[in-house]
Amino acid sequence: MSGIFSISSTIKCDVLIIGAGGAGLRCAAEILEKRPGTDIVAVTKVANPQKSHTQTAQGGMAAVDPKDPVDKPVYHMFDTWKGSDCSADQNVIKKIVESGWEQTVWMENHGMHLSRDENGRVSKRTFGGHTLGFGETSAFRCVFEADRTGKGIMDNVWGEALKGGTSFINQAIATELLFTGDRCTGAVIFREKEGEFVVVLAKATVLATGGDGQIFKVTTNCRQNTGDGLAIILQSGLPVMDPEAVQFHPTGIVGPGILASETLRSVGGILRNKGLEPFMERYAPKMKELAPRDLVARAIETEVREGRGILNPDHNIEHVWIDLRHLSDYIHEVQIPEVSSFFKKFINLDPKKDLCPVRPSNHYQMGGIPTNEFGEIQKNSESLISGLFAVGECASASFHGFNRLGTNSLLELVTMGKVTGEKVVNCLDAEQPGRPKNAGEKTFSLFSGFMKQRGRDNLGQIREEMRILMTEKVGVFRTEEGISQALETLKELKERADKAALSSNSLIMNQDLIQRWELNNLLVVSMVTAQGALNRRESRGGHFREDFPERKDQFNHHTLAYMTEFGDVKLGERPIDMSIYEEKGEHYEKFGMIERKY
Amino acid sequence: MDGGMVMETNYKLTLKIERYDPDTKESWVQDYQLEAGRILRFTDLFRKINNELDPTLAWNSSCEHAQCGTCAVMVNGRPLLACELLVENAVVQFGTTVFEIAPITVAPVVRDLIVDLEQAYERVNQAKPYIIKPVENFNKGNEYQISPRDLERYVDATRCINCFCCATACLSSQKTFLGPNAVLASIVRLMDPREEAKKERLKILYSEKGIYRCHTSKACSFVCPKEIDVAHFIALAKEGRFESEEGD
Ligand SMILES: Cc1cc2nc3c(=O)[nH]c(=O)nc-3n(C[C@H](O)[C@H](O)[C@H](O)COP(=O)(O)OP(=O)(O)OC[C@H]3O[C@@H](n4cnc5c(N)ncnc54)[C@H](O)[C@@H]3O)c2cc1C
Ligand code: SF4
Ligand code: SF4
Repeated sequence: MSGIFSISSTIKCDVLIIGAGGAGLRCAAEILEKRPGTDIVAVTKVANPQKSHTQTAQGGMAAVDPKDPVDKPVYHMFDTWKGSDCSADQNVIKKIVESGWEQTVWMENHGMHLSRDENGRVSKRTFGGHTLGFGETSAFRCVFEADRTGKGIMDNVWGEALKGGTSFINQAIATELLFTGDRCTGAVIFREKEGEFVVVLAKATVLATGGDGQIFKVTTNCRQNTGDGLAIILQSGLPVMDPEAVQFHPTGIVGPGILASETLRSVGGILRNKGLEPFMERYAPKMKELAPRDLVARAIETEVREGRGILNPDHNIEHVWIDLRHLSDYIHEVQIPEVSSFFKKFINLDPKKDLCPVRPSNHYQMGGIPTNEFGEIQKNSESLISGLFAVGECASASFHGFNRLGTNSLLELVTMGKVTGEKVVNCLDAEQPGRPKNAGEKTFSLFSGFMKQRGRDNLGQIREEMRILMTEKVGVFRTEEGISQALETLKELKERADKAALSSNSLIMNQDLIQRWELNNLLVVSMVTAQGALNRRESRGGHFREDFPERKDQFNHHTLAYMTEFGDVKLGERPIDMSIYEEKGEHYEKFGMIERKY
Repeated sequence: MDGGMVMETNYKLTLKIERYDPDTKESWVQDYQLEAGRILRFTDLFRKINNELDPTLAWNSSCEHAQCGTCAVMVNGRPLLACELLVENAVVQFGTTVFEIAPITVAPVVRDLIVDLEQAYERVNQAKPYIIKPVENFNKGNEYQISPRDLERYVDATRCINCFCCATACLSSQKTFLGPNAVLASIVRLMDPREEAKKERLKILYSEKGIYRCHTSKACSFVCPKEIDVAHFIALAKEGRFESEEGD
C-alpha cells in the first residue's frame, strides 16, 4: 500500500527549522543576522507561525538588568537551581542567566513593545520564586509586554525571520528525520493543505516543536502540542531526557484548562471543596493558599480523589472551587481584571458572585531532547549528531531540571535560540547533502498502515481515554501501582489505535489522518513519560511519587529514555552539571545539593 | 448554597455547517443536531461532532483561548472566534438555537471551515509587520527610551492577533484593499518612534491597495474580538496623525 505514496518534490536549503514558534524563529533571526541571505526553510503545524503556542505566554520573561542596584545574576542562578530541585545543569544556568539582559535589549531594539516605566525604560515586576539575596526578598526581574509577553516575542521573531527572507511551510508536519551516517541531512514534511510529501535537504536541521501537554486531559497547552519532536527523535533511535519531569499548575480553569494565575490566591482567593470547606488549612496551616505550586496542586487532587470534588457536567471534569466573592470591588477591578474576565468569557461566571471551578492543569514539560549548552543534539552522553539541533520547550539542556520557574521559559527560548543560531552558522560551509535512498519509507509505511485499517473503534475516544489515564495515573500523584497500570493500558490503547479505521483516506486537509498520526506521538511520549516516572523511585520537583515522597541522592542524575519499538523503553543516565559548585567561586556553597524549602 | 450543586442545563442545538470536499470539489450544508451544556464553546461543539457524530468535519484552532486567532468562523453571518462563543451566550446573542456556520471569506476554502490563511496573510506580509529600518539608537547596548504616553497612543494596535474577522466584515477588503488588519500592522510602525523607514510605509499605506479603499464604515471595530478600534487608527492614518502631538 505504501506504493501509493511518493515524494512530490525535494527542496534544498541551508537550514531547516522544524517548528516556527518563539525558539525556532529566534534561532532563524540570529542566523540571518550573522549571515544575511542564508536560505532558511521553517515548517509549522499551525496556519501561520504567529499561531504557535509561544503567542499565549502572558506573565513575562526573567532578565537581570546590569543597571539594577540590587539584583545580581548569581541570585537568579540560585533561584533557578533551587527551583529545579537541584537537577538543572549549572553550565546552562550560567550561560542563560548571564545573557538575559542582552537578549531583552535585542528584542526591544528589534521592535518588541515591552511595557515602560515613567522614564521610558523597560519596566520590571516581581514573579514567584525570583528573589534577591538567596531567598530573602522578592526581585523585580520580570520584563513584560502587558499581559501578552509571548505574543510580543512571537510577533517580533516572526517579523525578523520574514524580513530576512525565510521561506515558511505552514500547516505542515515533519514526520521523519533523514540521516547519512551520523549526520542529519533534513526531514520529510507532509503538507496538509496540498496532501503532499516533500523532502527538505539541509546542512543543518533545528527541532523546535514545543511541548507535549496534550498527553493530559486538562492542559494549558495548545491543540498542536502533541510531542511530535520527541516522537520523531525516539523513532530515530535517539534519546529523550527527563520525560517524567512535568509541571502542573494548581489552578487551570475547568474545562478549557486556561491558566488562572497565582495572583488569585495572592490577593486572597480561597480554595473550597464540595462542602465549601477551606481545605488548604488542613494541608498547609501556615501558608494555606500561598503554599508552593506543587503542594497546592497535590492538595486539590487529594480533595478530588477523596470524593470532595464537584463534577462539571458540561466538561465531565471534577474540580474544586476558588472563592473570590469576598474580595473587594477594588481587588476585582484593579488587581485581577484579566483573570476575572477569563472566567466570564470562557465559563460565564462572575467571580464577584459565583464560585469558580479550578483543577490542576498540565503546564510545562521540563524534559525533552537532550542537548548540550549550544543546542547540539547528543547521541549519547559522549557524542553528538552533526547537523542536528534542538531548542525551546522540546529541548532539554537542561535549564529547568525538574521544576521550571515562571518567566524562565521565555528567557530560555530567546537565549538558546540565539546561541544555537550561532552554532548553526558554523555548519553552513558544509557540502549540500544528497537525498538518502530510503527517504520517506518510514513515513509511508506509517501512513499506509493507518489507511488500511478497517476496525470500528473510535480514534477520538482512544485519545480521550489516554489523556484521562495519564492525568489519573501519571499526573500530580504517581505510585508504582498506578504507573504500572498506565503502562499496560497504554499498550492496549496502542493496539486498539493500530486497528482503527480512519473516517476518510483523503490526503488533503484530512484532520482525522493528522490526529491519527498525532495519537501515535502522544502514545509514544506517554509511554516514555510513564516509564521514566516508574523508574525514578523518589520525588523531585514536578515528579511526585506518593510511595517515595523524598528526594534521594541516588537519583541525582538525568534520565535518558530510548524507545524504537513501542513499549520497549531503555533507560540511561546523564550526570547533572555542577560546574558552579565545583569551581568553588564566591557563593559556590549555595549550589550544592540544597533543600528545596520555601 | 451547597457547593456540590451545579446548574445542569442542556441545549438542543442545530448546527448547519457549510462543507467543502476538495477531492470531489463538492459543497453542501450539513445539519448536525447535538445536545450541549451551557458553557461549552463552539470549538468544543466542533470537537464533539468529530468525536461523536462525524470525524470528517474539518475546522481549525490552536490555543483555544482567544490569543492566536486561528478559529475565526462566520456564525449566522457574523465573523467571530469559535473558542470564545459559549453556547448559552450564543443562544441569547442570536436569539436562536439554530446556527449557520461558514468559513471566513478572506481566502479560498481548503476544506469545510478551514481557509487558506497563508493567502490571507500575504497581505499582512505586504504591509511588513516588522521594523523595516531602525532609527539610530544613541544609547547603544540599551533599550530605546519610549515614554508610556507615546506607547499608549498605539499600544492597542499592537494587540491584533490577525484573526481576519475585521477583514471578513470589511466590504472593501476583499480584492482591492490590503484589509484593516494589514494596514494596522503598518500603522503600528508609523507610530513607533523606532522606525526610520516612514516614507516607505506611507507609500504602502497610500498605494492602490491602501487606506483610501476604506469607507469608514467601522465594521472592523465592531467585530474585532480583541476590541481594537481599528477604524480609529485608520482615521488617524488618513489624517497623517502618526506622531505624538502636543496637548494630545
Ligand atoms: C498559558 C501559558 C502561559 C505561559 N506563560 C509563560 C510566561 O509568562 N513566561 C514564560 O517564560 N513561559 C511561559 N509559558 C511557557 C512558554 O510559553 C512555552 O514554553 C514556550 O512558548 C514554548 O516555545 P517554543 O518555541 O519552544 O514552542 P511553541 O511556541 O509551542 O512552537 C512550536 C512550533 O513547532 C510547530 N510544530 C510542532 N510539531 C511540529 C511538527 N511535527 N512539524 C512541524 N511543526 C511542528 C508548532 O506548530 C509551532 O510552530 C507559558 C505557557 C503557557 C501554556
Ligand atoms: S472602517 Fe474601513 S477598514 Fe473598517 S470595515 Fe469599514 S471600510 Fe473596512
Ligand atoms: S484587528 Fe481585531 S479583528 Fe482584525 S485581525 Fe486584528 S484582532 Fe482580528
